[in-house]
Amino acid sequence: MVNHPREKEWEEKAKKELKERPLDSIVWETPEGIRVNPLYTAEDLKRIDHADTLPGLPPYVRGPMATMYAGRPWTIRQYAGFSTARESNEFYRKSLAAGQAGLSIAFDLPTHRGYDSDHPRVAGDVGKAGVAVDSIEDMKILFDQIPLDKMSVSMTMNGAVLPILGGYIVAAEEQGVSHELLTGTIQNDILKEYLTRNTYIYPPQPSMRIVSDIMAYCSKEMPRFNTVSISGYHMMEAGADTVLQTAFTLADGLEYVRAALRAGMDIDAFAPRLSFFFGVGMSFFMNIAMLRAARLLWHRLMSVFNPKNPRSSMLRTHCQTSGWSLTEQDPYNNIIRTTLECMSAVLGGTQSLHTNSFDEAVGLPTDFSAHIARNTQLIIQEESKVCHAIDPLGGSYYVEMLTKMIVDEAQKIIDEIEEMGGMTKAIESGMPKMRIEEAAARKQARIDQGIEAIIGVNRYATDDKVDFEVREVPDYIRNEQVERLAELRKKRDNREVERTLAELTRAAESGENLLEATLPAVRARATVGEISNALEVVFGRFVATTLCISGVYASEYRDTTVIESLRKRAAQFMETKGRRPRILLTKMGQDGHDRGVKVVATAFADLGFDVDISPMFQTPEEAARMAVENDVHLVGVSSLAAGHKILVPDLMRRLSENGGEEIMVIVGGVIPPRDYQFLYDAGVAGIFGPGTSIIESANKVLNILENRH
Amino acid sequence: MNNQSPVSPPGSAGEGKQAPVRNSDYYVNGVLASDRLVLSKTITLMESSLPEHQEMALDVVEQLLPHTGKAIRLGITGVPGGGKSTFIETLGMMLVQQGRRVAVIAVDPSSKISGGSIMGDKTRMQFLSAQENAFVRPAATGQTLGGVARKTRESMLICEAAGFDVVIVETVGVGQLETTVASMVDFFLVLMIPGAGDELQGIKRGILELADAIVINKADGDNLTKARLAQREYETALHLVNPRSPDWRPPVLTCSALEKTGIDEVWDVVLRHREKLGATGELEARRREQVFEWTWFLVDEGLREWFYKNAGTKTLLPAIKKKIGSGVITPTRAARELLETITGKE
Repeated sequence: MVNHPREKEWEEKAKKELKERPLDSIVWETPEGIRVNPLYTAEDLKRIDHADTLPGLPPYVRGPMATMYAGRPWTIRQYAGFSTARESNEFYRKSLAAGQAGLSIAFDLPTHRGYDSDHPRVAGDVGKAGVAVDSIEDMKILFDQIPLDKMSVSMTMNGAVLPILGGYIVAAEEQGVSHELLTGTIQNDILKEYLTRNTYIYPPQPSMRIVSDIMAYCSKEMPRFNTVSISGYHMMEAGADTVLQTAFTLADGLEYVRAALRAGMDIDAFAPRLSFFFGVGMSFFMNIAMLRAARLLWHRLMSVFNPKNPRSSMLRTHCQTSGWSLTEQDPYNNIIRTTLECMSAVLGGTQSLHTNSFDEAVGLPTDFSAHIARNTQLIIQEESKVCHAIDPLGGSYYVEMLTKMIVDEAQKIIDEIEEMGGMTKAIESGMPKMRIEEAAARKQARIDQGIEAIIGVNRYATDDKVDFEVREVPDYIRNEQVERLAELRKKRDNREVERTLAELTRAAESGENLLEATLPAVRARATVGEISNALEVVFGRFVATTLCISGVYASEYRDTTVIESLRKRAAQFMETKGRRPRILLTKMGQDGHDRGVKVVATAFADLGFDVDISPMFQTPEEAARMAVENDVHLVGVSSLAAGHKILVPDLMRRLSENGGEEIMVIVGGVIPPRDYQFLYDAGVAGIFGPGTSIIESANKVLNILENRH
Repeated sequence: MNNQSPVSPPGSAGEGKQAPVRNSDYYVNGVLASDRLVLSKTITLMESSLPEHQEMALDVVEQLLPHTGKAIRLGITGVPGGGKSTFIETLGMMLVQQGRRVAVIAVDPSSKISGGSIMGDKTRMQFLSAQENAFVRPAATGQTLGGVARKTRESMLICEAAGFDVVIVETVGVGQLETTVASMVDFFLVLMIPGAGDELQGIKRGILELADAIVINKADGDNLTKARLAQREYETALHLVNPRSPDWRPPVLTCSALEKTGIDEVWDVVLRHREKLGATGELEARRREQVFEWTWFLVDEGLREWFYKNAGTKTLLPAIKKKIGSGVITPTRAARELLETITGKE
């Protein structure tokens, strides 16, 4: 086990300490399927090529900068946005005054999907999971008193990337700031949307054109602006382990590079402006190693294109702590989790970082929880003295070995994708999505069995309830936005709007640069929805096909008696009622995070339920019709984006109207505790917060079905 | 047959409000009025495994039988991932736009291990499902071929009685179910995708014999040449199997459900088939034959069920299992001994 001249001596001592347990029992098989020894030595290090390298120099495994945090600490960049532009702007200015260094804007789901706030499909989503932006007028308020020539602005936008990036550019123009002074990042990473987050608008091909048009425009006009932030974060949140996150993210990156090269750009014109965005989870050393491995691999992958500028093959990344690792139960534990994940990102050498607020498993961050999250970084940065060290884990036998293992495993997957013809083809085949969903189902099974510990959930659970305030976005926000839109449409020169939109449609058909063609429409006060529509008439709106894995949850669940007892209950239900318990799982509104719904679907089918899955982005009316036509016993609503108070009662009303009053409704996801009573009063039969085990929820569902009959 | 006593509907859980007790009139009148809610409840009744529901289902189907037979019955099967649902979405939308009423019964396999299922086909028929003149019902196969065959057939009849003029049955192209579906529809369509020269693998020759047409889907983009290649291979292969009808040589077509090309040609073929075989009387004869096949199928199923429920079989079965397992007796002997428990020694 140990590579060392005194291996035998060590093994003898180790065996004594372990008593009956075999030495092999302290080898760790990670979720990635890697066997990791508990101990490595200088002998192991000798076999690692990258061990003796320097930060700031290829292959950058030790960091992209020579001086790292000793020269300049990472940027504290908290992602935030909610309600109206006015309220978000106030929040930003407060955060900047309290030590935050850059802005990171969260837009609401209708904006992401290219709908204006008055669109009938988005009633439950306006201003909920981000700020509602309908036009340049909202954009100007968002950046009010924030000088765009000095402030680096990061915007998470992929679907409606043209009207939003256009809005930012025009807002700067109207502040008197010229294009070349703008610094920041637009996420503009559409490929991962088809994998996990589902906030796309158009099909992959025209979407990829938009990405390269933005790269082309910015490389000329905005040389200091990062044009794509290639994101693994959402993959991790959807269940990807460190190897999958690394491989799929870098494979996405390769695809963008090729798209830009195909569009005739020079590698050094755009590659230095590609940045990355990784998610950092609870597995402390693995996540440190992941960031190091990603840098090494990116350098390796980019070398093929023979860049002249060293920055072209240098991976610079933003990181965010895992929202999925946060629990509703015993919520102050989340502060500690976030602190650990923050340390992982720092030791891994991130360039900027967002730390999550402890209350994000139940709702949107409050001023208080955002303050703690920000201070977590400030304390590490300013009190702990870590910034004096450059890559302190470089040369650590353990971390260097982990780094190498992740590099090797991720390279295998990247090779596999290359053989398929690149990431677009791989995505079309469904392979990456299946792998991620499989990893998620396995993880859920491990957690439900207590193999993977979550303190306060599957170990050391406490009955003590913690009461804290949760931010609520009032529903009248939507009315405000709708009124502002009506006013805008009255005041602006509508002939100019129509003319610029027609020009944009023509550009979409002819192949001109789309960002350039968007700007006149933005200046003319065309809305996000109108601009998106002008493109949709040419490109169409993408509809995802839903595939679902099966058998994975049960196979990872080792205690077969638990599985069997549930299967027996489902079979008994069939014997007495004439058919299996049938459940429709649905996500309503514009939230596309479907990990929860997919994991529940595959697990419930494994437990003997008949499971119907609804398409993405349903309205309550559509979900109700599907429930009645499929004649299910129960509808399970997954809600993560704070729309439950509008969407769930609406669903119940529609069910009744369609004759489905016998069909019961349960809700799972991110539901603030004080909304529980509201939902029960509306007639909901059960609520399942984050951290509910599948086994427990399946039993509860069967209880509900049996008792009410 | 109207005097049957009302029973509680199958498996309805009732949210505090007890589900109302329903009699066969409720189902029959609702279906004839094309009430979506009742239609869906009636299909659930057909699916139920409880004897009292099956009794009522029989009664309902008998009352509805005079109102059936007018629809075009279309069976569609193909390999998993072949784009069946997308194909049906595109075809169905085209038919609805032509003013037709389209019902789809999408059968998904139940897991043999857990008994559960995931029914996701309807998510791929998002636009069709939303049409006023369409009805899409996903159904799980359950554990027995007999069960799925019965409920699929009866659901199809119910949809006809509700006034749908095209009824599509979709199944995954694996196993015996296809044969059974082929024997309940007017037109059996096998949907394939272009591969890399290994076209004929993964599909049973038996299914080709049943096909009234083979359609190569996903004939778009890079796939176009491959699709043409596959088309020729299937044409050759079809020459080697006996045609089902002397008047109909199953054509091989290509289409792209995604790009909505070639779909109307497929439908033309269905209509031509109908016209041709309708004129010769073969269509009528096929339906009559199907009714007989169906009867014998039910007899088979009944015998099987009767056999396993037989007390003698039940007691003997464990011992026989043991003997076969340890190789003490041959399977032939074992089968004979088991059968003798109901037939008596001859």
